[in-house]
Amino acid sequence: MAHDDTTAGRLPNQKDLLLCLFQRGAADGLNSLVPYGDNHYYDHRSVIALPPPGDADGTIDLDGFFALHPSLEPLKSLYDIGQLALVHATGMPHESRSHFDAQDLVEHGVISKPLPATGWLGRHLALSPPETDSAFRVLSISGNVPASLQGASAPLAISNLDDFGFDQDIIDAGYPDVLRNLYHQQVPFASSAVAALSALDELQAANLPSILPENGAIYPNGELGYKLQQAGQLIKSNLPVEVIFVDSGNWDHHESLPNNILRSLAELAAALRAFHTDMGNRMQNITLFVMTEFGRRVAENASAGTDHGSGSLAYALGGGVNGGQVVSDWPGLATPSLLMGEDLAITIDMRTLLSELLIKRLGGTDVSQVFPGFTGPTSANLFLSRS
Amino acid sequence: MKPSAEEFFSSVKSRREFIKLLAKGLGYSALAASLPGCGGGGGGDSGPDDADKVIPRASTAYRLLKRTGFGVRRDELTLVESLGIDSYIEQQLDYQQVDDGGLESDLQALFPLVYQTAAQLYAGFPDNVGSVVRQMIAAAQYRQIFSRRQLFEVMVEFWTDHFNIDLLNGLCHALKPVDDLQVIRAHALGNFRDLLHGSAKSPAMLFYLDNFYNLAAAPNENYARELLELHTLGVDGGYTEDDVKEVARCFTGWSIHLPAISPGEFGLFNYIDAYHDQGSKLVLGQTIAAGGGEQDGLEVLDMLARHPATARNLATKLCRRFISDDPQAATVDRVADAFLTSNGDIKTTLRALFSSEAFRNSADLKITRPSEYLAGLVRALAPATGYPTDNGQLFFYAQSILGQLPYNWSTPDGYPDLQSYWLNTGSMLNRWRLSFLSFASVLQGQGIDVIQVDYGPMLEGANTLASVTDALIDAILMRPMSALDREAVLTWLSGEFGINDNTPLSAEAAEQIAPLVAAVLISSAYFQLR
Repeated sequence: MAHDDTTAGRLPNQKDLLLCLFQRGAADGLNSLVPYGDNHYYDHRSVIALPPPGDADGTIDLDGFFALHPSLEPLKSLYDIGQLALVHATGMPHESRSHFDAQDLVEHGVISKPLPATGWLGRHLALSPPETDSAFRVLSISGNVPASLQGASAPLAISNLDDFGFDQDIIDAGYPDVLRNLYHQQVPFASSAVAALSALDELQAANLPSILPENGAIYPNGELGYKLQQAGQLIKSNLPVEVIFVDSGNWDHHESLPNNILRSLAELAAALRAFHTDMGNRMQNITLFVMTEFGRRVAENASAGTDHGSGSLAYALGGGVNGGQVVSDWPGLATPSLLMGEDLAITIDMRTLLSELLIKRLGGTDVSQVFPGFTGPTSANLFLSRS
Repeated sequence: MKPSAEEFFSSVKSRREFIKLLAKGLGYSALAASLPGCGGGGGGDSGPDDADKVIPRASTAYRLLKRTGFGVRRDELTLVESLGIDSYIEQQLDYQQVDDGGLESDLQALFPLVYQTAAQLYAGFPDNVGSVVRQMIAAAQYRQIFSRRQLFEVMVEFWTDHFNIDLLNGLCHALKPVDDLQVIRAHALGNFRDLLHGSAKSPAMLFYLDNFYNLAAAPNENYARELLELHTLGVDGGYTEDDVKEVARCFTGWSIHLPAISPGEFGLFNYIDAYHDQGSKLVLGQTIAAGGGEQDGLEVLDMLARHPATARNLATKLCRRFISDDPQAATVDRVADAFLTSNGDIKTTLRALFSSEAFRNSADLKITRPSEYLAGLVRALAPATGYPTDNGQLFFYAQSILGQLPYNWSTPDGYPDLQSYWLNTGSMLNRWRLSFLSFASVLQGQGIDVIQVDYGPMLEGANTLASVTDALIDAILMRPMSALDREAVLTWLSGEFGINDNTPLSAEAAEQIAPLVAAVLISSAYFQLR
């Protein structure tokens, strides 16, 4: 159904809108945010290491120890204004080095199997009742619903909001009505079908194509930029969306990492920067969180790439982020400090970050139900409390 | 070293954009932007147990065909009804004896690149990449729609997912066609051990999972890990990280002839002893003696092919394909036992599955995957159609937006086989939109006359809204519709046309109404279930 007054949207003082971005394939945190202050970094990565800040194409210093990959330059000003924080040596403490297993674990919010039937965000959404009956409460901008959202009531998955709809002659022929009647209660797939029909109505009323980027924001070409642009349109449309999930691919760089990660990072940085610009003051009520399934091995391999590892990097962006800092309890890269002698140890549990996010920015959901078995801590000083 | 993405796709920014370019080239520019991405997991929906209550059960023959083929054809339904379930299954298992008419020669004429060697395909690089991709996809769809060896094609798709190789990964466009013919299709209903050995030596797999530069001095674990996790034991199959490393050592030196070094032999398996780790290894508690050379890898493959965890992993996946997402343990055990006692004979394994109570007495437990939906739509609506006059463009587009283009899943786990992945709001909408294939005006505007649906024989003289609807339920759904749902269709039709259920219609009017009814039937849960 249409929302024709702006107050029907999200209530700005109760919860942030969360945009969760998942880097599929295990992004290399050590070459994204370089611990140039740890000399062992250069011992392990003689071919692919990035030079310390100061060189012509060098990394961008943040705090005298960590420096950004040059392709992440667009994020530096967001760090400087205190809206971006990075968390290093974080992740989910388990031993799996399988992409599929590790994605399952982090998305389901646990560190061992069996997997619960629902995902961490799905449980959060199920525990906090919706403010409206809109179909647009939770959306994945993709062809399929990610595991993180399982458990939410009828999560939407739409790969292209601009193209989600029927031609007018199909609507005129009464198809949506007969479909609604055929997918009545208890028919298999009814909840997906009814949600699709409701979403069609709401989207038609919202007229997203008429909503343009603001403040001079220019989204980069490519899939990620397009997805974040659509997220921006949706947020500005006043549809009462609470959670948007976006995937980013191409992070599994077993070979030629320096070349391959350059493009991926540049696309990520440009897309985040454009989104931040487009949202303007709305960022006071938006948190964007970037995660990946695990980090990559500290030592480079023979193909100028890196294999599967453990600890990695997370990003938090928004007005409610305690930004301008790298949050880290750096475990060190000397071989004896490495997990199983080869991986960056996890010193901040990803669930600590997500618990803090839930408590301080997303309405205070009971984290023990969102992350069963997790005993804390539930803060890493990454977020500010909503006033 | 492995050629970088830049070297091979200098004109192409990413694989997704590449597919979009293809779609645009095919004339679907307005639609090309809607290609779905790859996610994981999925949302829940009402459970299968509800189905029997509101959706009347289909016939035994229908239930068999819906799950062992790409949708039900009327003439095959008649065949199963006359042969009986068991004889039909035996006929399908003995697939080489199933007459496929001129299918193979049609394929060779339509899609010649599918039959070329890696060296031939490499010689045409890079101009031929788009053509290879289109022809591989079209050939797979063609077989799924038109082949009479339906169970064989279902198993080809199963193993294609199980031993997934992304056609757009580096050199794979040149290497995968041979893998498809000589590994997957050669052994799809043969013996798993042969299939596994074939895959392990398949240049496409050696390239895709990086084993071609797995060297004694610098082991690459990628293939070893997926061999254990995906191809054989399964992620919970009891192996350790050390096993992964030791298996990687066993496969050091398993490489391919590279184009820069030996262009004529490009794409052939090449074991290079100098790169093999000659030391002894310990795999799953068993010692592999030093100096084994190529034999190390072969020994590992044999060990894995007969391992109980492999049997369990494969049995679970087969039950998931043919029965439900959460098959009963007893059924999985039965199938796994058949696998083990037959030393990996795929036909014997399938017989155990198809004769199980769980298979015989169930149906409608999950949603069709897009390939079944798309092929099933053609097979139900236009069984006698020829290859589409648009040269496969529409099918390519359809599979793009439904998210299951053959050979186009980027990660080694293959397309998911869980309803939670395929069922969601976006996928429902896309299925509905494609059901309007039968509602021709949508597509005529684009000048595409894809499939000729002949409603005359389906209607058999039906001359009221009620009799048209009943005739099409019988012809297209081939299963009973509940009185409530039939009434919903009739109420809509009456309202739309301003006449009663039983107002007489001319034959011409009946044929004009038929496509609208067909689109609704195909959009309904009755058609989406498998």
